[in-house]
Amino acid sequence: MEKIDLKSLENKVRKKIEKAESLKELDTIFKEVFGKDGEVKKISKIIPKLPKKQRKIFGEKFGKMKESLMEEFEKKAKELKEKAEKEVEEKEWIDITIPPPKAPIGHYHPITLARRKIEEIFQSMGFEVVEGPEIEDEWHNFDALNIPPDHPARDVLSLGKTFYLKSGGLMRSHTSSVQIRYMEKNSPPLRIIVPGRVFRLDAIDASHEIDFWQLEGLMVGKDISVANFKAIIEEFLKRFFEKEVKIRLRPSFFPFTEPSFEVDISCVLCNGKGCQVCKNSGWLECGGAGMVHPNVYKNCKLNPKEWQGFAFGFGMNRLVMLKYKIPDIRLFNSGDLRFLHQF
Amino acid sequence: MKFSFNWLQSFFDKKLPKPEKLAEILTMHCFEVEKVEKIGKDFVLDIDVLPNRTDCYSHLGIAREISSILGLKLKEEKWKIQEEKNLKAKDFASIKVFSGCQRYTARVILDVKVGESPQWIKERLEACGIKPINNVVDITNYVMLELGQPLHAFDLEKIEGKKVIVRFAKKGEKISTLDDEKYDLDKDILVIADQKRPIAIAGIKGGKETGISQNTKIVFLESANFDPVIIRRSSVKLDLKTDASMRFSHGLDPNLTEIAINRAAYLISKICGGKIAKGVLDYYPEKALPKKIKLEIEKVESLLGVKIPKSRILKILKNLGFKVNQKLEVEVPTFRRDVSIQEDLIEEIGRIYGYEKIQKQFPISALIPPKKNSEIFWENFVKDVLVSLGFTEVYNYSFLSKEDIENFGFKKEATEIENPASAFYQFLRPSLIPGLIKNIQKNQAEFSEIKIFEIGKIFKNKKEKKALAGVITGEKFFEAKGVIDALLKKMGISNFYFDFYQPTPEESKISIWKIKKSAEIKIDGEEIGFLGEISKRILEKYKIKNNIVAFDIDFEKLAKLATEEHEYEPFSVYPAIVRDISVLVPKNVLVEEIMNVIEEAAGKLIRDIDLFDIYEEIEEERKSLAFRIIFQLKERAILPEEVEKAFQKIIENLEKNPNWEVRKK
Repeated sequence: MEKIDLKSLENKVRKKIEKAESLKELDTIFKEVFGKDGEVKKISKIIPKLPKKQRKIFGEKFGKMKESLMEEFEKKAKELKEKAEKEVEEKEWIDITIPPPKAPIGHYHPITLARRKIEEIFQSMGFEVVEGPEIEDEWHNFDALNIPPDHPARDVLSLGKTFYLKSGGLMRSHTSSVQIRYMEKNSPPLRIIVPGRVFRLDAIDASHEIDFWQLEGLMVGKDISVANFKAIIEEFLKRFFEKEVKIRLRPSFFPFTEPSFEVDISCVLCNGKGCQVCKNSGWLECGGAGMVHPNVYKNCKLNPKEWQGFAFGFGMNRLVMLKYKIPDIRLFNSGDLRFLHQF
Repeated sequence: MKFSFNWLQSFFDKKLPKPEKLAEILTMHCFEVEKVEKIGKDFVLDIDVLPNRTDCYSHLGIAREISSILGLKLKEEKWKIQEEKNLKAKDFASIKVFSGCQRYTARVILDVKVGESPQWIKERLEACGIKPINNVVDITNYVMLELGQPLHAFDLEKIEGKKVIVRFAKKGEKISTLDDEKYDLDKDILVIADQKRPIAIAGIKGGKETGISQNTKIVFLESANFDPVIIRRSSVKLDLKTDASMRFSHGLDPNLTEIAINRAAYLISKICGGKIAKGVLDYYPEKALPKKIKLEIEKVESLLGVKIPKSRILKILKNLGFKVNQKLEVEVPTFRRDVSIQEDLIEEIGRIYGYEKIQKQFPISALIPPKKNSEIFWENFVKDVLVSLGFTEVYNYSFLSKEDIENFGFKKEATEIENPASAFYQFLRPSLIPGLIKNIQKNQAEFSEIKIFEIGKIFKNKKEKKALAGVITGEKFFEAKGVIDALLKKMGISNFYFDFYQPTPEESKISIWKIKKSAEIKIDGEEIGFLGEISKRILEKYKIKNNIVAFDIDFEKLAKLATEEHEYEPFSVYPAIVRDISVLVPKNVLVEEIMNVIEEAAGKLIRDIDLFDIYEEIEEERKSLAFRIIFQLKERAILPEEVEKAFQKIIENLEKNPNWEVRKK
């Protein structure tokens, strides 16, 4: 009966485990110990041959040793695995400067982007978004807006600027026609905006279009004032351009508002310091506005003594051009993907 | 319009602010000053006078504005005309007005010496961009710039019969004007005539023959108030715009004619040594009277949103020439033709007081949430889906050229513009497709694959409709079909289907589609749109290199059918069994026919059938179609025996058709 020195066996194996440098090496050691012809197997074959008294004590010791070695193996295996992974990680890399393949994503037209923003801002202030027909009649485009035939403003708009259809009717030359259409059907108090296409006979160049977008606004109530208009419009412009802006009102003339004004905004490019775009004035023209003329209410069968409010009409293309620094109005209808893919 | 700073200064004793400062003040309170230019010792202000303010087409008018804004008093003018008691105007000439004139005022001035004007008149005219001619003509122009009333001087000795008639021209009449131009006149054009011929185009330009010359001795001076509409029409018709026609066509104060004619006569007598004949020849059947308006101070405050003291209101109005008492009863001077209601007065008060002094204030209003605009909601929804599927949104012109209309065969339904911007924009678009095809034409050199769409109004037979259309370049019919499928399903529309395009023979001749590669998109038998490849004819016309698949949908119908309602449908928790089957059929057999047979044979057990392969090159006459059938039940696990039985039934049914063959693997 040879003497079995569990202690030295354990120490011997522990040293081997400690020295192991790879998982593969550790696996070989494991097989040497726990394998079919391994030392543990050999010992376990001997155990039944031991005297009963000894067998129990030895068996317990043997069991503990196996357990402790197992733990050691697992611990080492984990260590080596982490080490190996780390080595692999350090070796593997990608060149992140390689340009990616194009993601198949489309683009919104900048007018759509602006519309969404505008609509969101005004809706948050309780304005309803309304649309109207692009083919109009003389009543809604002119007469109801207090522009009777033979009025100088009518001539300017109708002879010089408005497209007429051969079969009768015309292309609306402003979105103000929708003010009338809305007030014919809805009673105040009311708050609407009308983003839409308008058409004007003009020579097309970098700042003139024949088919472009306007933003109309109308708010009518019992006591809506110029002071209210200033607050609403400044808030809108501030949020639209995402910066602090100032506005100013200058006297103007429109047949459908009284008083009438031009709305100027502090230049959004130079913040009012003066630049090429604002021609060093620090101000940019935004559009026309005013307090709705009593005749307009009358034409919509509303009592002008009962209601008052403001209306405005801004060039949407111009707002978008300022926002995105687009230099040429012709780009909007160009369908040029080099332009559209930037939005 | 050009104004002389020195001239404006001459209306005041006190010094005006510097020209640039004055320009800024005018811009903020009256009219935009576009430019200030130094000319010699003077400054010229280019003022954009608003079209309803004809009283300000004059230095006096602008001076009045300055007086009100700055609170400066206007100087009292000291001049008086001296008439010759023994010479009576009516003995030298007579006037007869037939039409087109609210007032006609004339004077006769004798013994006039025509010559050069004094320097100060020439300087002021030149500052305002008017060329000096001779003293008489210059004085008429001077008074126009000073007071706003256009005047005309005739050589009375050249007027036939010494009778001046205001009438419409007769057909065939002609006139040579002072600048040597010839005009053919007609019955719509108002003229000043003598007994024989027209001697001036009323309110626009004088005739050459009766003009003032070096030899003129007797001047017939005209100061009239012509009908603005008539003058405007004549001016448009003759394509002739003058300083006079511009003023007349915006409407002037009839009471101004007399003041102006006296002023001019006074200056002529002073400068040209003339004798003013006694009396004014005056046709003035209906005198213009001042309007009266009651101003409510509460309305001023409520409309402007600012409290302005009554004393300030009174001062503003008085300085502008209004008469007003403590009860705020306002008398409007006749030169303020633009003021007729209370709101007009409030504008005067607001602008002179200064809009910048009105503090912004958010309105107080009921908390009513804005109504949702469902069409705009769905428009945005469609854009989101298409953009996420890789489409770029375009906005095209609403106009098409005649060539486009012909190419696309839209002649019958297209709406023509009476006054197009150019031949390129002569018609309204009856479809979005031509615009999209032209977009491809323009972009194809830079971009190999193009996917674009547009939502916009189209116009058919004068009726407008919102439409949605898109195009994809390449052999992409099924990609486009997939786009429609995804879009409609996302919009909550599931009962749509694709139907073969069956055009009438006439339609197919002009069709822009490849007829056998097109489909109608239908819901309940109604067509809501179209999908197909664009015909070779169109591709060639527009020099498109690539194949194009297009879809064209009635957006309004689509938005009506769309719904946000959606209900969760429980899915099966039991395993599925998948079987593949491959069928060899004649080439003209539709996939749908085969799928219907499969469905019918074992529909209840099938969750889904997918076509995963089409192989056409297998035989001359037949194609091979491979389907994946997924068997699954919601209520329990499906048994392999059931699937086997069903699968056999499918094979059996498919092979009932002698030309179909199931390929067993």
